[in-house]
Amino acid sequence: MTSTAGVESRILRAPHPVPGAPDNWKRFFSFNTDAKVIGIQYIATALFFLLVGGLLAMIMRGELITPEADLVDRTVYNGLYTMHGTIMLFLFIFPVLNGLNNLLIPCMIGAPDMAFPKLNAAAFWLVPVFGVILMASFLVPGGPASSGWWSYPPVSLQNPLGHLINGEALWILAVALSGISSIMGAVNFVTTILRMRAPGMTLTRMPIFCWTAFSAQTIQLIGLPALTGGAVMLLFDLVVGTSFYRPEGGGDPVLYQHFFWFYSHPAVYVIILPVFGVFSELFPVYARKPLFGYPFVAGASLVIVGLSLIVWVHHMFPSGVPQWMRDAFMVTTMLIAVPTGIKVFAWLATLWGGKLRLNTAMLFALGGLFNFVFAGVTGIMLATVPVDIHVNNTYFVVGHFHYVIYGAATMGVYAAIYHWFPKFTGHMYYEGLGKLHFLLTFIGTNLNFFPMHPLGLMGMPRRVSSYDPEFAFWNVIASLGAFLLGVSIIPFLLNLVSSWVRGAKAPANPWNAIGLEWLLPSPPPAENFEEHVPTVISGPYGYGTGRPLVEHQEEIERALLQA
Amino acid sequence: MTISPPVDTAAPSPEGHEAAHANYSLTGFIIFLCSESVIFLAFFSGYAVLKLSALQWLPPGVEGLEWRTPLLYTVVLVSSSGTVALAEHFLSRGQLWGFRAFWLLSMAMGAVFLYGQAIEWRSLEFGITSGSFGSCFYLLTGFHGLHVLSGILLMALMLQRSFRPANYAAGEQGVIATSLFWHFVDVIWVLLFLLLYAWS
Amino acid sequence: MTTTPQRFPLPRLIGLAVWLVLLTLLSVWMGAQVPRWLPVSASSAAPLVDGLFGFETAVATFVFVGVVSVMVWVVLFNRAEKYDMSDAEPIEGNTTLEIVWTVIPLVLVMAIAAYTIQVNREIGLIGPMDHAHGPATAKSAPATPLPGGEVQVIARQWSWEFRYPVAGVSSTELHLPLDRRLGLQLESDDVIHGFYVPAFRLKQQVIPGRSITLFLTATRPGRYRLRDSEYSGTWFAANQADVVVESEEAYQDWLRRASRLPLQPGLSDAAREYAQQLSGERRSGYATIEPAQPPLVNVPGSNTLPHDG
Repeated sequence: MTSTAGVESRILRAPHPVPGAPDNWKRFFSFNTDAKVIGIQYIATALFFLLVGGLLAMIMRGELITPEADLVDRTVYNGLYTMHGTIMLFLFIFPVLNGLNNLLIPCMIGAPDMAFPKLNAAAFWLVPVFGVILMASFLVPGGPASSGWWSYPPVSLQNPLGHLINGEALWILAVALSGISSIMGAVNFVTTILRMRAPGMTLTRMPIFCWTAFSAQTIQLIGLPALTGGAVMLLFDLVVGTSFYRPEGGGDPVLYQHFFWFYSHPAVYVIILPVFGVFSELFPVYARKPLFGYPFVAGASLVIVGLSLIVWVHHMFPSGVPQWMRDAFMVTTMLIAVPTGIKVFAWLATLWGGKLRLNTAMLFALGGLFNFVFAGVTGIMLATVPVDIHVNNTYFVVGHFHYVIYGAATMGVYAAIYHWFPKFTGHMYYEGLGKLHFLLTFIGTNLNFFPMHPLGLMGMPRRVSSYDPEFAFWNVIASLGAFLLGVSIIPFLLNLVSSWVRGAKAPANPWNAIGLEWLLPSPPPAENFEEHVPTVISGPYGYGTGRPLVEHQEEIERALLQA
Repeated sequence: MTISPPVDTAAPSPEGHEAAHANYSLTGFIIFLCSESVIFLAFFSGYAVLKLSALQWLPPGVEGLEWRTPLLYTVVLVSSSGTVALAEHFLSRGQLWGFRAFWLLSMAMGAVFLYGQAIEWRSLEFGITSGSFGSCFYLLTGFHGLHVLSGILLMALMLQRSFRPANYAAGEQGVIATSLFWHFVDVIWVLLFLLLYAWS
Repeated sequence: MTTTPQRFPLPRLIGLAVWLVLLTLLSVWMGAQVPRWLPVSASSAAPLVDGLFGFETAVATFVFVGVVSVMVWVVLFNRAEKYDMSDAEPIEGNTTLEIVWTVIPLVLVMAIAAYTIQVNREIGLIGPMDHAHGPATAKSAPATPLPGGEVQVIARQWSWEFRYPVAGVSSTELHLPLDRRLGLQLESDDVIHGFYVPAFRLKQQVIPGRSITLFLTATRPGRYRLRDSEYSGTWFAANQADVVVESEEAYQDWLRRASRLPLQPGLSDAAREYAQQLSGERRSGYATIEPAQPPLVNVPGSNTLPHDG
């Protein structure tokens, strides 16, 4: 794939900065197989689509600032909210987490790269491909898909213009490609974690981030094929005219809901588990204390994987499922609170009596935890059937999952980006801009998403392009919050770009953190430890214990710095 | 389409450190197969739900599926798992020609199965749009048929590789993966046969 | 999190106790605020739902404020001094504590689950969540309702039609008698809709090809809003109707008067807006499914009258 000739190809092939070479950046635009390059490719692509999805959200909030459908036509609004959800999930949050996986997993376990570097690159390059397909659906005659990111039939099968190439078909294609890309990634991450750990890095010495990434990717492997199967049937119904979900041919529209939620509820854990991993990595570093109850935190991730696969019907309480199913799935949903609680309490115990350093990364982690706990308690409310019946498909649910996905997951991702920014770019970020970013994000998130809870309780359905005037007050506040969130991106991007270009040179371990990745120079060389692969001799969070992490730690650090 | 990526990586890469990763391919491939089986699980459960809740399952004028001829082809497909195992046995003893012969025989048996499938499709009086039953029947058999076809292509690739000198120096990951895939396809067919033909 | 009192001197223990008392008081107070956030309760199910939600709000407040106060505490009092690069005391875990914070949440959520199942049963006894499973026998709506189905509710893109087969009345405004349990037979002509009356705290998907009976008892006279709660296409947001709850006599009187009224096109904002788009009075966007013809009804009703939630 790297077809450029001569010197350029030497630089392109050099997986890492060649001193003095001016055009190192070109490797980020090539079919590079280095996990660290792919990780940055993922994150940059995801941030681009965060801007796109955020822009769509701001137009939506602009529409919703007044009760009438006046800013855009209703069909446009429906397309906007569908694309907003799809872009944010499949083109922002999944890719950005895969970016973190790529950067962190090999370095944290002492592997030179991923198990299948080419597969890894192919998985990444599918992301821009389906991104373009999804964007192109804005240009097809009937407009983009507009039946929500759930795409429930029969409404998703209605094709007003009757064209073969329509927004919905492109949407299904994009989602299927996203699924294939994620499966390729998941096979890679799971194999890497299982087979490529450094000597002495037993599973019980593995950093929690790797545990959570492993758990999340296991969910992908089990859940995604079910969604793919369901989506294939949807595509056949749409294009060929089969009757899997069409009631007039004997199909069952509720069957699709089962397929969809069998994957799409666990998908939330695919998103939040790695963020739990980020919290578990960051709190010990910035509280200068070992992670409280490491084995319990690690084990809780696996319990969450198990439970996540048997809770999906809680999205379907009003769908006409029998009473026993409602009760059973309510109980399993409630049980998820237990392993999640173990983690939250473990983090609090880690912070308790620590020596906290509130830099940007830590602020984002704390803010993310705050939002997560709020989302957690509303989650319990949503699990109970009668309350869910009232607020299901209202803004209460929208508020709940935005607290999870923006308030906790995206803020956790910000925390991770700041924390590991020096490691993988070799430059320090600017604390002032970072703290401004945090402040705007934290206020914006709560201003935007808190008002959705009272709206939902009052009975405002989600996905509406107009609403009754009694909902106006909270909607105005939510819209202001959304615009503030839009503003909050500016210091973030400014910080990333200017720090990478002009930021101070980062030392190998700027936060005085423990972990294999912090033994490496910043940025790490192409094959990470190369011939200096260390032997791990203790657990990952030995803050204050004085235990060395690896054998001959000083010699290895010296050798790596000289190399 | 979904099966092509792991195939690429099953190939031992000639360049640099990637060659050292070849022995992870089998792990990766097994993980992939487990994941792939969930798609079939999804189709199977969808089929069961639609069938159990249907008022009128078979399209008007259709009595039921003829199962005797398909049973014959089922026997052919299932026995090809045995010939694949025999081929592997020859390979492990270093008898390349024995391997190739039985490997080719397995491919032929797979092709016979596909041929039988095509004949059956042509003789049926209902189509993919004939209600849920027609949709399920063609989706399930077609998706499985695609897997059989992929299996045959994979085997052809492995056969061609067996002529490459020193191909087995780093182990025979590709052959093991392909035979695992073939057994997987056979097991799926047995379940499919029970669901489609035996359960009525 | 703060339950290691052995090493705490007495003042700290007192502080902890005061904090727990304050937290409990705050939680109880929050639980009592719930009715202010919800619409009026107008069905027999509503008080049960509200009671459960109030209880959950109290528990949620306790957990959330409890966790946040620990976070605030550590941020205020456990900060590293400037230039202090040392580590804190390394405490790596405590199995007793782990068991405590596994068992207590487990007991708590199971208690909530048990309470919820009980509420479910009660609501089930008074009947609003029963439903016929499986496909309807015919595509076109049957002329006679299923047993218990006094009102036939037909959802379309994008209008609601309410038929009273016994009285021979059809309407785009749902009238219900006060304090009498009755069944609504929910059917859809096209896609999945959602029957949702916030004041009743009830919601049920209306699924094409099925006939689902929803039982309910309205308990408060007034005019309420019925909303489509399952996204159903372009005019989903405008697919609303009014529900009028009135005394049994007024209800019967309404049925009598309505049956004598001539048929006329019912309420459909979608049809009105679509006509405006066709005539160019209103901007249009992407292609849309054409709205179904408004049903011909005796009583078109209105959805601009003030309503009680």
